[in-house]
Amino acid sequence: MLHREQMLVLAAAGAIVLLSSALPLGRLLTEIPGAGAAALRILSAPRPWLLLIRSLMLATAATACAVAIGVPLGLLIARTDLPARRFLWMLHAFPMFLPPFLLALGWFQLLGREGFLGSEVTDRLLFSEVGLVVILALTFSPVVTSMVALALLGMDASLEEAARVAAGPWRVATRILLPAARPALVLATIVVFALSVSELGVPMFLRVDVFPAAVFARLGGIQYEPGEAFALVLPLMPIAFGLLYIERRLVGAGSFAVAGLRGMSRAPIPLSGWRPTLAAASWSVAAAGALPLAALALRAARGGGFGQLPQWIGQAPWTSLGTATVAATVIAAVGLVVGHGAARRLRGASMLDALAVLTFVTPASVLGVGLIAVWNRPETSALYTSVAILVIGYTARYAVVGTRAVASVVLQSAVHLEEAAAAAGARFWRRLIWIILPVNLRGIAAAWLLAVVFCLRDFETAVLYYPPGREPLPVRIFTLEANGPPAVVAALAVAHVLMTALVLGAGGLLVPHRRPE
Amino acid sequence: MKRIVLLAALVSLNPACKRTAREVVVYTSVDQVFSEPLFKEFERQSGITVRAVFDTEETKSTGVLNRLIAEAPHPQADVFWANDPVRPFLLVKRSLVEPYRSPSASDIPATFRAADGTWTEFAARARVLLVNKKRVSPGEMPRSIRDLANPRWKGETAIANPLFGTTTMHVAALFTTWGEEEARAFLTALKANDVRIVSSNGEVKRLVATSEVVFGLADTDDGYEALKEGAPVDVVYPDQEGMGALVMPTSAVLVKGGPHPDTGRKLVDYLLTPDVERRMADSAAHMPLRPEVPVPQGLKRVSEIKAMQVDYARVATEMERIQPWLRQWVGL
Repeated sequence: MLHREQMLVLAAAGAIVLLSSALPLGRLLTEIPGAGAAALRILSAPRPWLLLIRSLMLATAATACAVAIGVPLGLLIARTDLPARRFLWMLHAFPMFLPPFLLALGWFQLLGREGFLGSEVTDRLLFSEVGLVVILALTFSPVVTSMVALALLGMDASLEEAARVAAGPWRVATRILLPAARPALVLATIVVFALSVSELGVPMFLRVDVFPAAVFARLGGIQYEPGEAFALVLPLMPIAFGLLYIERRLVGAGSFAVAGLRGMSRAPIPLSGWRPTLAAASWSVAAAGALPLAALALRAARGGGFGQLPQWIGQAPWTSLGTATVAATVIAAVGLVVGHGAARRLRGASMLDALAVLTFVTPASVLGVGLIAVWNRPETSALYTSVAILVIGYTARYAVVGTRAVASVVLQSAVHLEEAAAAAGARFWRRLIWIILPVNLRGIAAAWLLAVVFCLRDFETAVLYYPPGREPLPVRIFTLEANGPPAVVAALAVAHVLMTALVLGAGGLLVPHRRPE
Repeated sequence: MKRIVLLAALVSLNPACKRTAREVVVYTSVDQVFSEPLFKEFERQSGITVRAVFDTEETKSTGVLNRLIAEAPHPQADVFWANDPVRPFLLVKRSLVEPYRSPSASDIPATFRAADGTWTEFAARARVLLVNKKRVSPGEMPRSIRDLANPRWKGETAIANPLFGTTTMHVAALFTTWGEEEARAFLTALKANDVRIVSSNGEVKRLVATSEVVFGLADTDDGYEALKEGAPVDVVYPDQEGMGALVMPTSAVLVKGGPHPDTGRKLVDYLLTPDVERRMADSAAHMPLRPEVPVPQGLKRVSEIKAMQVDYARVATEMERIQPWLRQWVGL
């Protein structure tokens, strides 16, 4: 049974999730009966369903490619003697912290008809389903790589060492390492699928028809019908519940490290004669991810974009940084309470965690319209017309980053410390501050940093309701992209890349380091 | 953790969190690259801070319009600067517009001003055919939008999604000019002729410039951009022997109940000056409505082309009426 104090803390965290997520979605739910016949007509037409199937297929293809890239690379980085693997990991992982459409923009500078390596063929390939799948796979494969690598680095070394006495490297990898990393791999697959299926910026840029773009279009059409748009979202709900079920069933209490790097110091598996080939392949993949960034920098430099940056960048970086930092702090705090509760299987916490997952999978444009409906009223005008609305939107959309990341970290920490403190009479609030927070500080700080980066890279949530004159940098890049000078747009994109690199660098210094064992 | 909280506090004190008392909020579907420098000039001249919301290319002219409608119970914008003359009527119909006769508009021809002051038009574009010169002999040059339905060009032409942007308005204008039956037949014929329906006029321009299609329907500014980029493109003003080309001035309206009505009027006054028309002609290839404002080389004046005779208010009504049918036609 929950202690009253724990209930109150959970209720406070729950109120934040409900206010930011449930209220806007619930508000739109009330519009559906009004939309009535039109909503029914939309759902009975074949086109939305065909589009949904198409989106699911594209997301499946992108996820499969990301897994195909990420699993071997994660294994190579975590457990082999691949040269300069830490740097390789950083280079490969960095693009996942950027808005995917920005990478699409970079690929356009590279492979578009007037791109540095462009031709008619590359242009056609880029502006096609193939282009979409490849860009999403390259953007999201670091999620798989990183989660698999972190899981392998966190696993008990004795298992692997025992296996290596009798078995060769291939057998150790397939029979010991990969099964041990299975929960991380499943979670990574779910995350990549959810990110791919809800991606709006890249398909819009590449002019590929997908379901979220259709929902966005329904809100942007001449007859503004949010109820009908929300009706379009309903088919996504079973998919969201399906992902949630798989995650609970296959990942569940599976324990894996998300922030442990101890294994890097273990004796790596020697690649022997395969080392040069695998190193070349791994570095090629990492370079492919970084290539569009180089193309953006080159386009900006050649076209004089950097010189025009002060004229066009405005306050956007400050807005991005400020709102992302505040939102990430809220997300980490909510994640601490809800994620901890979910890891300890508290019913209320698990439901809040599920709501966070559903909000994440719901197309961001729908969430945006719900936020307008809920928050644009005289009594909340101060919030709606300020950057606070961005913080609310980010919290709604990315609460899942905090809850899931903290849940994973808490699952690894020993419950007996909390039990001992409770037995000694420590109340929940004290246990939260003096036991749960310090024990999991490194993971919670990593979750905070991850949330900052997710908010920084957001485009689709903010674009519908950003406060006038306070657009985050990704929104500014996307709106300027309409007929804007390519060199300026590229320079703004490079500015965003640098901002993200600085945040990750500073975050790396802020996140407490593991003490030497 | 203390360091994290400190960082959050410091960043939250950044300049983006400050608000200015003398400010104006404008929502615009005119491209940010063209409109923002004008807002900055207004800020410089007036000392009033402009806070703007811009559209994306894909939801051009309906994204911010829908935001205005969504916010109608508690308006947040003072001014709406639309990139076509029809969208403001959708706001007028919903009583979301405050009439204002700007003194700056006195020399704009009367046909481009509402008698009741609800809207004022300036800086116009026209709908044109962009034709790839490399793929069409002079004798075959398309001259009418009806050529989009000509089997000679089956699968070789493109238009933007008619649920958005200026294409919506163009389709609605055809309904008002040709009537229901003929307009529907034309659109059905377009489908039968495998016309490519793409996300934006910019995409039409790209497809024509790269020879992926022979010709397509876009706006004068798209054509001007293509010519500036050196694309092998001809800009054809359609139906010059028939109904004429559709002309689309931009339009400024004052939002009813906006938070800063006085500064809103000042911004409208500024937008309607001849200097803004000149700047829009130079930077964005918009045709000035005033006869004395000069146009850059390669850009025609409104008076130099045969324009479709349409009632924009009727087009606005028609545009809303045909939406369900149009959505079916598009397939959503």
